[in-house]
Amino acid sequence: MVRFKFEGRELEGREGDTIAAALHANGIKVLSHSRRHHRPRGFFCAIGQCSSCLMEVNGEPNVRVCIVPLEEGMDVKLQPATGGELKW
Amino acid sequence: MVNTDLLVVGGGPAGLAAADTAASLGIDVLLVDEGRAVGGQLVKQTHKFFGSGEHYAGVRGIDIPKLLNREENSQRVRILTDTTVVGCYEDGVVSALTGEDNYFKIKAKRAIFATGATEKFLSFPGNDLPGVYGAGAVQTLMNQFGVIPGKRVLMVGAGNIGIIVSYQLLQAGVPVAAVVEAAPTIGGYLVHASKLARAGVPILTRHTILEARGKDAVESAVIAQLDDNWQVVPGTEEEVDVDVVCLAVGLSPVVDLLRQLGCEMKYVPELGGHVPIRDKNLKTATGWIYVAGDVAGVEEASAAMVEGRLAGAAAAAELGADKQEADTVISRCLASLDALRGGPVGEKIRSGIAKLEGGAVNA
Ligand SMILES: Cc1cc2nc3c(=O)[nH]c(=O)nc-3n(C[C@H](O)[C@H](O)[C@H](O)COP(=O)(O)OP(=O)(O)OC[C@H]3O[C@@H](n4cnc5c(N)ncnc54)[C@H](O)[C@@H]3O)c2cc1C
Ligand code: FES
Repeated sequence: MVRFKFEGRELEGREGDTIAAALHANGIKVLSHSRRHHRPRGFFCAIGQCSSCLMEVNGEPNVRVCIVPLEEGMDVKLQPATGGELKW
Repeated sequence: MVNTDLLVVGGGPAGLAAADTAASLGIDVLLVDEGRAVGGQLVKQTHKFFGSGEHYAGVRGIDIPKLLNREENSQRVRILTDTTVVGCYEDGVVSALTGEDNYFKIKAKRAIFATGATEKFLSFPGNDLPGVYGAGAVQTLMNQFGVIPGKRVLMVGAGNIGIIVSYQLLQAGVPVAAVVEAAPTIGGYLVHASKLARAGVPILTRHTILEARGKDAVESAVIAQLDDNWQVVPGTEEEVDVDVVCLAVGLSPVVDLLRQLGCEMKYVPELGGHVPIRDKNLKTATGWIYVAGDVAGVEEASAAMVEGRLAGAAAAAELGADKQEADTVISRCLASLDALRGGPVGEKIRSGIAKLEGGAVNA
């Protein structure tokens, strides 16, 4: 079991899951929101091509959670549609 | 800066075959793939392959990468997974990102782009709701991660992919409310379609999805019948109770990087959309870039592998491999592609490729 956090909640995923697969297995379908109307967005392509699953992971915005492997202790959050503050 | 003779971008069947062939002709290869493991679309294909024996028919898709990633070539092929090519520059420098923060540049003498294809979208109200998935994503969830996508599915598209994924959903215990197909006939192989029919899943030809409804995720979908002019027949609208809408309406080539490089494109619907212009050996006019597999035109894994071998051999020849050996591989591949694209099944692809060879460029 791999423990991680989603919006402060403690969740468990399985070894070898991507972040998105683990969230889905926990019943979490809303991964992001559209920019203007803030409509909920979910998983669509699963291969890193559609940008529907961008989330903040360990403080890093715009992570494609559908292709990034889940790791112990990861802190996964919904992000503002623009990806939050720019960090240069 | 990482220097390499041959860079292969994408480790699906096309990229793996390209790397394997170039390596067996004595060329050092760097292969990068943004996924967790190589295999591309194949890693989710638990079904046995259709196609001819020479091209792994009867082998399960998930087992093919092993056949392509051979021990004897491992010295010559360096594979980096979790590595995305993010930029391409005219001076032949390619930039890549491993994980979230290891950014580096690659300078390659030749590169083969085998970035595959991505699911096509359909426009209807609610198409952006969570619960609307591409068929490949449903396969990824179920077959790769063992996670079911939802409780009840509406499948849109009755081509091979829509039919196979529907059947896999049933195998995973997820009911399929119906398969809707706008065309008047089922596109997929009838053996698979009849398995669905026997399981009681209606395959509704001349039907389409009008809307997905729900608040934070799909709660239902509205379908309706189409007439001969593809217009909705009033009064046939029906709301089906599903939490997943799965789109299997085709794939389109992932050509963004090639565009960055200034590769000339042409819109060829038979090949899935905008595809790079290239010669018979799959070389583009850039002089150092080849393409292979679905990125060059959406076909099947068998053709992708042969295209990979063809591009791998052609690039190897330019990089100093034994010319005769390379030429033998090239002619074998060309013959093999002709055979794969022969007959009525290959007609669409043949006419698509014919359009690439002549005619005006309308990129
Ligand atoms: C649901 C489904 C069922 C199918 N069933 C069959 C079948 O039974 N028989 C058959 O012959 N074919 C089948 N196909 C088709 C077959 O899977 C594809 O034609 C084949 O996988 C194409 O191979 P490819 O190497 O061109 O691309 P892909 O397999 O898509 O591989 C592309 C690779 O490139 C990588 N990539 C993309 N962009 C980047 C980047 N910027 N940086 C790094 N890496 C990148 C991706 O991670 C991926 O691994 C099926 C397809 C689907 C979707
Ligand atoms: S679901 Fe498409 S990029 Fe992640």
